[in-house]
Amino acid sequence: MNLLAWIPFLEPMNVFHQWWYLLLLPLAFGLAVTYKAIRLPTLKSYWWQVGVMTAQIVCGVVALGVLVALFVQFAIPYLTQ
Amino acid sequence: MAALMAWIFPGLGHMLLGQRRRGLLIMFGILFLFFSGLLIGGLDAVDMKQDRIWFVGQAFNGPIAFVADFLNQAFIQNQPMDIRIHRVGLANVNWLAMLFITLGGLMNLVVILDAFYPPNRMDHPHRRSDDQ
Repeated sequence: MNLLAWIPFLEPMNVFHQWWYLLLLPLAFGLAVTYKAIRLPTLKSYWWQVGVMTAQIVCGVVALGVLVALFVQFAIPYLTQ
Repeated sequence: MAALMAWIFPGLGHMLLGQRRRGLLIMFGILFLFFSGLLIGGLDAVDMKQDRIWFVGQAFNGPIAFVADFLNQAFIQNQPMDIRIHRVGLANVNWLAMLFITLGGLMNLVVILDAFYPPNRMDHPHRRSDDQ
Protein backbone atom coordinates (compact mmCIF):
# COMPACT_ATOMS: atom_id res chain seq x y z
CA MET A 1 0.00 0.00 0.00
CA ASN A 2 1.23 3.47 -0.83
CA LEU A 3 2.39 5.14 2.38
CA LEU A 4 1.19 8.55 1.15
CA ALA A 5 -2.36 7.22 0.97
CA TRP A 6 -2.26 5.94 4.54
CA ILE A 7 -4.81 7.57 6.87
CA PRO A 8 -3.58 7.48 10.50
CA PHE A 9 -5.91 5.85 13.06
CA LEU A 10 -8.25 4.67 10.29
CA GLU A 11 -6.02 2.35 8.31
CA PRO A 12 -3.47 -0.10 9.76
CA MET A 13 0.30 0.53 9.52
CA ASN A 14 1.15 -2.36 7.25
CA VAL A 15 4.87 -1.59 7.45
CA PHE A 16 4.84 -3.46 10.76
CA HIS A 17 3.99 -6.77 9.11
CA GLN A 18 7.73 -7.10 8.55
CA TRP A 19 9.01 -5.25 11.63
CA TRP A 20 6.38 -6.34 14.15
CA TYR A 21 8.91 -7.36 16.81
CA LEU A 22 10.09 -3.73 17.16
CA LEU A 23 6.70 -2.95 18.70
CA LEU A 24 7.79 -4.80 21.84
CA LEU A 25 9.71 -1.65 22.88
CA PRO A 26 6.76 0.80 22.99
CA LEU A 27 4.54 -1.94 24.46
CA ALA A 28 6.98 -2.58 27.31
CA PHE A 29 7.44 1.19 27.82
CA GLY A 30 3.68 1.83 28.08
CA LEU A 31 3.23 -1.00 30.58
CA ALA A 32 6.18 0.20 32.67
CA VAL A 33 4.95 3.82 32.74
CA THR A 34 1.56 2.75 34.10
CA TYR A 35 2.76 0.03 36.47
CA LYS A 36 5.48 2.15 38.10
CA ALA A 37 3.05 5.07 38.50
CA ILE A 38 0.90 3.02 40.88
CA ARG A 39 3.60 0.79 42.39
CA LEU A 40 6.39 3.13 43.47
CA PRO A 41 6.17 4.58 47.00
CA THR A 42 7.67 7.86 45.76
CA LEU A 43 8.14 9.26 42.29
CA LYS A 44 11.70 10.50 42.80
CA SER A 45 13.42 7.89 40.63
CA TYR A 46 10.35 7.25 38.48
CA TRP A 47 11.81 7.48 34.95
CA TRP A 48 14.88 5.46 35.91
CA GLN A 49 12.58 2.72 37.27
CA VAL A 50 10.48 2.88 34.08
CA GLY A 51 13.65 2.38 32.01
CA VAL A 52 14.74 -0.57 34.15
CA MET A 53 11.34 -2.26 33.91
CA THR A 54 11.17 -1.67 30.15
CA ALA A 55 14.58 -3.32 29.77
CA GLN A 56 13.52 -6.20 32.02
CA ILE A 57 10.39 -6.90 29.94
CA VAL A 58 12.30 -6.71 26.64
CA CYS A 59 15.13 -8.94 27.90
CA GLY A 60 12.63 -11.41 29.40
CA VAL A 61 10.66 -11.72 26.16
CA VAL A 62 13.87 -12.04 24.10
CA ALA A 63 15.12 -14.76 26.47
CA LEU A 64 11.80 -16.62 26.18
CA GLY A 65 12.01 -16.32 22.40
CA VAL A 66 15.55 -17.77 22.37
CA LEU A 67 14.47 -20.64 24.64
CA VAL A 68 11.49 -21.49 22.44
CA ALA A 69 13.65 -21.28 19.29
CA LEU A 70 16.23 -23.64 20.83
CA PHE A 71 13.45 -26.02 21.86
CA VAL A 72 11.98 -26.05 18.35
CA GLN A 73 15.35 -26.30 16.58
CA PHE A 74 17.06 -28.89 18.78
CA ALA A 75 14.81 -30.48 21.40
CA ILE A 76 11.89 -31.42 19.16
CA PRO A 77 14.07 -33.05 16.42
CA TYR A 78 15.94 -34.93 19.17
CA LEU A 79 12.70 -36.13 20.80
CA THR A 80 11.19 -37.22 17.49
CA GLN A 81 14.21 -39.28 16.40
CA MET B 1 -16.15 7.41 43.20
CA ALA B 2 -12.40 7.45 42.46
CA ALA B 3 -12.64 3.98 40.87
CA LEU B 4 -15.52 5.14 38.65
CA MET B 5 -13.56 8.20 37.59
CA ALA B 6 -10.55 5.97 36.88
CA TRP B 7 -12.70 3.97 34.44
CA ILE B 8 -14.33 7.04 32.86
CA PHE B 9 -10.92 8.47 32.01
CA PRO B 10 -7.60 6.83 32.98
CA GLY B 11 -5.79 8.73 35.74
CA LEU B 12 -8.75 10.82 36.90
CA GLY B 13 -9.32 8.52 39.90
CA HIS B 14 -5.88 9.22 41.34
CA MET B 15 -6.22 12.93 40.57
CA LEU B 16 -9.48 12.87 42.53
CA LEU B 17 -7.56 11.27 45.43
CA GLY B 18 -5.17 14.22 45.38
CA GLN B 19 -2.33 12.43 43.58
CA ARG B 20 -2.14 14.75 40.59
CA ARG B 21 1.29 13.83 39.24
CA ARG B 22 0.62 10.12 39.62
CA GLY B 23 -2.71 10.53 37.84
CA LEU B 24 -1.06 12.35 34.94
CA LEU B 25 1.55 9.61 34.58
CA ILE B 26 -1.18 6.93 34.59
CA MET B 27 -3.13 8.93 32.01
CA PHE B 28 -0.03 9.18 29.81
CA GLY B 29 0.72 5.45 30.11
CA ILE B 30 -2.80 4.17 29.37
CA LEU B 31 -3.48 6.65 26.56
CA PHE B 32 -0.04 5.91 25.08
CA LEU B 33 -0.94 2.21 24.84
CA PHE B 34 -4.46 2.94 23.57
CA PHE B 35 -3.53 5.40 20.83
CA SER B 36 -0.42 3.43 19.84
CA GLY B 37 -2.73 0.44 19.26
CA LEU B 38 -5.11 2.56 17.19
CA LEU B 39 -2.22 4.03 15.20
CA ILE B 40 -0.74 0.58 14.45
CA GLY B 41 -3.93 -1.32 13.67
CA GLY B 42 -6.40 1.43 12.82
CA LEU B 43 -9.91 1.59 14.26
CA ASP B 44 -10.42 -2.06 13.33
CA ALA B 45 -8.32 -3.01 16.39
CA VAL B 46 -11.35 -2.30 18.59
CA ASP B 47 -14.24 -4.48 17.47
CA MET B 48 -16.92 -5.52 19.93
CA LYS B 49 -18.65 -7.82 17.45
CA GLN B 50 -15.81 -9.75 15.81
CA ASP B 51 -13.22 -9.67 18.61
CA ARG B 52 -15.50 -9.92 21.61
CA ILE B 53 -13.02 -11.64 23.97
CA TRP B 54 -10.37 -9.00 23.24
CA PHE B 55 -12.96 -6.31 23.80
CA VAL B 56 -13.59 -7.56 27.35
CA GLY B 57 -10.07 -6.36 28.22
CA GLN B 58 -10.26 -3.29 25.98
CA ALA B 59 -13.46 -2.11 27.71
CA PHE B 60 -11.46 -1.35 30.89
CA ASN B 61 -9.90 1.59 28.99
CA GLY B 62 -13.21 3.32 29.60
CA PRO B 63 -15.70 5.06 27.28
CA ILE B 64 -12.92 5.79 24.75
CA ALA B 65 -12.93 2.06 23.85
CA PHE B 66 -16.68 2.18 23.18
CA VAL B 67 -16.24 5.34 21.09
CA ALA B 68 -13.50 3.61 19.06
CA ASP B 69 -15.78 0.60 18.53
CA PHE B 70 -18.63 2.88 17.42
CA LEU B 71 -16.33 4.65 14.94
CA ASN B 72 -15.07 1.26 13.70
CA GLN B 73 -18.61 0.08 13.02
CA ALA B 74 -19.46 3.40 11.31
CA PHE B 75 -16.35 4.03 9.21
CA ILE B 76 -15.05 0.51 8.49
CA GLN B 77 -17.48 -2.35 9.04
CA ASN B 78 -20.40 -0.63 7.30
CA GLN B 79 -18.36 0.36 4.26
CA PRO B 80 -18.35 -1.46 0.89
CA MET B 81 -15.75 -4.21 0.54
CA ASP B 82 -13.43 -2.18 -1.75
CA ILE B 83 -13.04 0.48 0.96
CA ARG B 84 -13.09 -1.93 3.89
CA ILE B 85 -10.26 -4.05 2.51
CA HIS B 86 -7.82 -1.14 2.99
CA ARG B 87 -9.01 -0.38 6.52
CA VAL B 88 -9.10 -3.83 8.11
CA GLY B 89 -5.92 -4.92 9.89
CA LEU B 90 -4.55 -8.39 9.20
CA ALA B 91 -2.14 -10.83 10.85
CA ASN B 92 0.74 -9.34 12.93
CA VAL B 93 -0.45 -5.76 12.69
CA ASN B 94 -3.96 -6.65 13.82
CA TRP B 95 -3.13 -8.81 16.81
CA LEU B 96 -0.35 -6.50 18.00
CA ALA B 97 -2.68 -3.50 17.86
CA MET B 98 -5.32 -5.43 19.78
CA LEU B 99 -2.65 -6.51 22.28
CA PHE B 100 -1.61 -2.87 22.90
CA ILE B 101 -5.18 -1.78 23.60
CA THR B 102 -6.13 -4.86 25.62
CA LEU B 103 -3.03 -4.64 27.82
CA GLY B 104 -3.75 -0.92 28.31
CA GLY B 105 -7.26 -1.86 29.43
CA LEU B 106 -5.99 -4.52 31.83
CA MET B 107 -3.44 -2.08 33.26
CA ASN B 108 -6.28 0.38 33.77
CA LEU B 109 -8.12 -2.37 35.69
CA VAL B 110 -5.13 -2.47 38.06
CA VAL B 111 -5.33 1.34 38.28
CA ILE B 112 -9.08 1.16 39.04
CA LEU B 113 -8.43 -1.36 41.84
CA ASP B 114 -5.65 0.87 43.20
CA ALA B 115 -8.06 3.83 43.23
CA PHE B 116 -10.80 1.67 44.80
CA TYR B 117 -8.52 0.38 47.58
CA PRO B 118 -6.08 3.24 48.21
CA PRO B 119 -2.99 1.98 50.04
CA ASN B 120 -2.91 2.53 53.80
CA ARG B 121 -0.26 5.17 54.38
CA MET B 122 0.04 4.23 58.05
CA ASP B 123 1.42 0.84 56.95
CA HIS B 124 3.64 2.44 54.32
CA PRO B 125 4.68 5.83 55.72
CA HIS B 126 6.96 6.58 52.75
CA ARG B 127 4.46 5.56 50.11
CA ARG B 128 3.32 8.43 47.93
CA SER B 129 4.61 11.04 50.34
CA ASP B 130 5.93 13.15 47.47
CA ASP B 131 2.65 13.85 45.74
CA GLN B 132 0.38 14.66 48.63
